[in-house]
Amino acid sequence: MKRWGVLIGTGVFLAIELIAVVFLGVGDRLQVQDTVAVNEILRSVEADWGDMGNHRSIGGAAYVVTDLKGNVLFTTREGLSESVNAGIAHRDTLLDIYAEGEPAGKLIIWNEGAEALQAGKQRAAAVFAIGILLQGCVCGGYMFYLQRKVIRPFRGMKEFAERVAGGNLDVPLKMDRENIFGAFTESFDIMRSELKRARLAEAEAKAEKKELVAKLSHDIKTPVASIRAASEVGLALSETCRQQEIYSSIIAKADQINALITNLFSAALEELSRLSVTPSDMDSRELRNMLENADYLHRAEIPEVPGCLVYADQLRLQQVFDNIFANSYKYANTGMKVSFLKDARSLSISIEDEGGGVKNEELPLIKEKFKRGSGVGNVEGAGLGLYLADFFLKEMQGELNVKNGRLGLTVTVKICLSGFKKSVRNP
Amino acid sequence: MEEILLKTESLSKSFSNGGDLQHVLKNIDLELYKGDFTVIMGASGAGKSTLLYALSGMDTPSLGRITFGDQVISDLSTDGLAVFRRKHCGFVFQQIYLIDSMSVMDNVMAAGLLVSKDKRALAEKAEELFRAVDIQKEIQRKFPAQLSGGEAQRVGMVRALINSPEILFADEPTGALNSKTGLDVLNTLTKFNEEGQSIVMVTHDVRSARRGNRILYLKDGAILGDCRLGRYVHGDEERHKRLTAFLEEMGW
Repeated sequence: MKRWGVLIGTGVFLAIELIAVVFLGVGDRLQVQDTVAVNEILRSVEADWGDMGNHRSIGGAAYVVTDLKGNVLFTTREGLSESVNAGIAHRDTLLDIYAEGEPAGKLIIWNEGAEALQAGKQRAAAVFAIGILLQGCVCGGYMFYLQRKVIRPFRGMKEFAERVAGGNLDVPLKMDRENIFGAFTESFDIMRSELKRARLAEAEAKAEKKELVAKLSHDIKTPVASIRAASEVGLALSETCRQQEIYSSIIAKADQINALITNLFSAALEELSRLSVTPSDMDSRELRNMLENADYLHRAEIPEVPGCLVYADQLRLQQVFDNIFANSYKYANTGMKVSFLKDARSLSISIEDEGGGVKNEELPLIKEKFKRGSGVGNVEGAGLGLYLADFFLKEMQGELNVKNGRLGLTVTVKICLSGFKKSVRNP
Repeated sequence: MEEILLKTESLSKSFSNGGDLQHVLKNIDLELYKGDFTVIMGASGAGKSTLLYALSGMDTPSLGRITFGDQVISDLSTDGLAVFRRKHCGFVFQQIYLIDSMSVMDNVMAAGLLVSKDKRALAEKAEELFRAVDIQKEIQRKFPAQLSGGEAQRVGMVRALINSPEILFADEPTGALNSKTGLDVLNTLTKFNEEGQSIVMVTHDVRSARRGNRILYLKDGAILGDCRLGRYVHGDEERHKRLTAFLEEMGW
């Protein structure tokens, strides 16, 4: 940035200097004739007065000698001012010639400066134009530089921030150390990586918690079941009312412990359902922008979207698309095809890749929490993406369907048309 | 097999209100049939009038398609829509909007001359319509300010029908009339419908709705219910009960 600033400043300074030098040069040329030379010419003419036919020009100067009636008595060359009026118009030096103490004629010394002035003006205009052009180029270059190095990275950061805000942490921010935001870009991407890591860690912790709760519940439920079974036997064999009361109480408490454990187990699973989804009516043509936004590697062909009003939460639907595209990038890494199908009550958006799909026996489980296909290899993931996508779509009264297509996995997002929400009775 | 007169596909209309989009009509798929007296009902703000204006080409949809016969009217320019309305539609509004400085007959003839230059034929058609709505010669020479509400609305109907429109759109035609004159207007509409005139009427008045053979119920910009009642028969209590039950089911 500093280097560019210095270059631009130097360019503008040089242009101004150039213009100034040209103007100063013109100023020098505007100096009028040498007074000594003028006097010398006048004295020579006065000396030769009465015999101007033998007069010799002095010092290579250009001048005309006329008598008082305006008759030209002598001229150094053609094209000079031959009358007082012409001399005044040309800004020539006009002098009276005296002979025997009386005015005898006029000496008109040609002003070379007038032509120099004209030539100087033309030169100055040319230099000025070049200066303006130069400044224009500098400004244009600077605008281009700003666009490339400031505005474009800013736009990239805005899109990045929107994706991060929408929960998509899989898309890295493209780093460019050449632009002035290089360091910021890197910091932002570190932030994304850290967020992603934290989210994965959180998901893992949740999964571990779930496993722990499941394991604990199993571990607790087994002896409780044994206690209950033994108490049932005791109850059947008991002979006194007091014994029956005690056994019944043990059975009731065992049931209570069982219920509490079940509640504990369910609570861990229900946390995710607290995510808010607030659908509203939106123009289906917005879907194109959303799909293009999700397909940041531009791998999908997106046809024209059928015009209709759909009922969806734009933020959550963007998350759904982000997730589907991110999954395809991670696991299939192929081109994709998007297609739309509108029926009387819904609009379906199918996204198909060419990655071979998943095993048929795994398809019913793929939307389950913490479930991942066996073909994921070392690709990182928590197994929550499609679960959340399915959850969001259900909250929008839509559906998420996953099936194996001809070449790969086809994920279909089905959203409800406005006016056909389940809350409104249809004809 | 009923002949489709007007068809909509995913008809939606949105208005911007201070930057917020308000979706007044939502994905309406509808077929209107020739010869029907279709009544559009619904609560205030349900989108009844917006639907009527979109169907009649007085407003353009934000999304979707409207087809009249083979012509897609949702693709027409403003001028194209004006020609469509002039040739194929008649309009009866709550406010009649007769031209004050012209006589009743001139009001009707002015509308007719927009489509046909045959003054004699127009005058004969006007006479026939005036007879049908019981407007006498002396009333035809009057100016709008001299007419009663009922007379003015009947003149409005004659003006709407002078160009023999294929479909007559009526937006609360009895809304500004008293009970007796409102009944006259409804009788006239029923009579025209019996003679084959297709009518689409927006109303929130059950008495007016009884005249229709098909009732569409709008809620939140979507068609919530579509009830076929059959032709109007005066004093048919069974038919009236069916209408009442339908409206109750719709939450009227």
